[in-house]
Amino acid sequence: MTRLFDSLRVVFFKEFLDGIRDRRSILAAFVPIAVIPLMLFLVFSKAAEQIDRVRNITVPVVGAEYARPLVDWLDQQRGIEIEAGPAEAQVEVEAGRLGFVLVIPDDFADRFAESKTATVRILVDSSDNGARRGAERVRALLRNYGELVANQRLMMRGVSPEVTRPVRVRTVDFATDRERTAIAFGFITFVLLLAVFIGGLQIAIDSTAGERERGSLEPLLVNAVPRVALVAGKWLASVAFAWFSAVLAVAMLLIVLEYIPIHRTGLSLDLTAAEGIRMLSAVLPLGLLASALQMAVATLARSFKEAQAYVSFLMFVPMLPMMLTMGEAVERQPWKFAVPGLSQHILISGVIEGRPFDPLDFVVALSTTVLAATALLCLTAHLFGRERIVYGR
Amino acid sequence: MIEVRDLAKRFGSVAAVDGVSFRAEDGEVTALLGPNGAGKTTTLRMIYGLIAPDSGEVSVDAINVGTSPLAAQARLGVLPESRGLYPRLTAREHVQYFARLHGLNRSESEERCRALIETLQMTDIGGRRSEGFSHGERTKVALARALVHSPRNVLLDEPTAGLDVASTRSIREFIRQLRSQGKCIVFSTHVMQEVAALCDRIVIVVSGRVGFVGSPDALRSATDCESLEDAFFKLAYDRGEPA
Repeated sequence: MTRLFDSLRVVFFKEFLDGIRDRRSILAAFVPIAVIPLMLFLVFSKAAEQIDRVRNITVPVVGAEYARPLVDWLDQQRGIEIEAGPAEAQVEVEAGRLGFVLVIPDDFADRFAESKTATVRILVDSSDNGARRGAERVRALLRNYGELVANQRLMMRGVSPEVTRPVRVRTVDFATDRERTAIAFGFITFVLLLAVFIGGLQIAIDSTAGERERGSLEPLLVNAVPRVALVAGKWLASVAFAWFSAVLAVAMLLIVLEYIPIHRTGLSLDLTAAEGIRMLSAVLPLGLLASALQMAVATLARSFKEAQAYVSFLMFVPMLPMMLTMGEAVERQPWKFAVPGLSQHILISGVIEGRPFDPLDFVVALSTTVLAATALLCLTAHLFGRERIVYGR
Repeated sequence: MIEVRDLAKRFGSVAAVDGVSFRAEDGEVTALLGPNGAGKTTTLRMIYGLIAPDSGEVSVDAINVGTSPLAAQARLGVLPESRGLYPRLTAREHVQYFARLHGLNRSESEERCRALIETLQMTDIGGRRSEGFSHGERTKVALARALVHSPRNVLLDEPTAGLDVASTRSIREFIRQLRSQGKCIVFSTHVMQEVAALCDRIVIVVSGRVGFVGSPDALRSATDCESLEDAFFKLAYDRGEPA
């Protein structure tokens, strides 16, 4: 048994050294450093852009002279600026030169004065997100204006405006700020899963498919060492890189969130070091599985190139549930904690949402993930004993 | 001592090895001689336990390879057909890696490594990474790491294939040294000079079967040929049909 662990240690240190000297392994481990600021920048600029769009819009109006009071009222609303629209408004919108335009027909003033329903038109290219949002904004404002005028007309006729409003709906949102924030910061889960899947990828492939391709697998297997020790040593070297990558990602995240003024966009996320450690405790076990899975797949592949293709594809498997629920809060059914990949996703989202820590969820996630990793390691050790695998027949 | 009894192995419909038996004694160099594709490499692979025979058995120092592969492998030093190195490790690190895998402690492994590097005349490349090594340098590293645990039995698959004269000579010299230490050496080759220069015993393998077992002199007299090459050609290729 001690021989087994001695061999395991020897293999680990050799593969680790080999990895440290491999530019590609090092590069892979440092991917999160590049990805995190990039992602934050995207979230940051997206949020800032949306806020700007809602706050300040310019509304081109055609025929403003037919509805002076309406246009003046509109002009007084916050964030709205009126400009004269082009004569050929429809042509401009169709050509995409103008996002939307408010058109007031010449019969507006007469119908308005007679208390008849007067029509205005909004011409919009709704495939342009900005234009669609602007048009929605103007439509909502015009509805308010209509209500205002209706109330005045009713009161002039001695009728209470409440008659026309039998039901009033008021929605109270119980989502906490942290929960709303969690949706915007969903990318954090993505980056952490990415880190454990990319960090050890190069070593996982190089020490299996690569070992065979360069012809060093046969000499290695001839040594009187149990195959389990060989596989486990290689696996731990890959895991070390994956873990390094994840720790780096969390550290980077804490630092970047500390120094980037995200709160100006209306989003805020203050992660404490303790929460960072909880994220790590969720994601590190997945590193065990990621490396084991990559090694098993790379061992089955026929060549180094093929292994790279399969393993890169693999990276997306645990991210599937995440991508499907992108932009939504995650539902937390108990069974989900038994699915590796998904469980880590929920655990990390939980930390971002500021939920209390549930040891049972954690233990279920941990044990299923470790179990799957162990099974895959045994499979790889078994494969190392197959003539077909060793000699690539 | 290595004993091979009735080994057979098929790959699909091809009988790669079809009933090979021989004995390789301690203090002797035994050559597995045969044309390309005769089943030499497959036979060696079955001896060092990476291919399981369909039938027959192999023992190394009376240890059965099929039932206790690790114990048998511990007594074997193997230079397999593929002798790939790790491009980012130095020659010395290669040798020490295998030494530690065999359970040698740090000082033992350093000592053995130094001795082997000296014997194989590779002091100049000891600290260099193996990327860019010549074929001869690679073979020496592979040989050194294979024998770092001082095994009683040595298996070499075409040890001098593709080497220049200088490297070939130093490897032959090394094999003679191993013999003088009383080790049991089996190597495969299709090069006749190799056999003439080194061998105590020849096992000729043709189409997966043993065509002849005996000393070089016995081979010459059995075939009525003056040169070993003629004798080998007669056994390996000339089956009564006109050449």
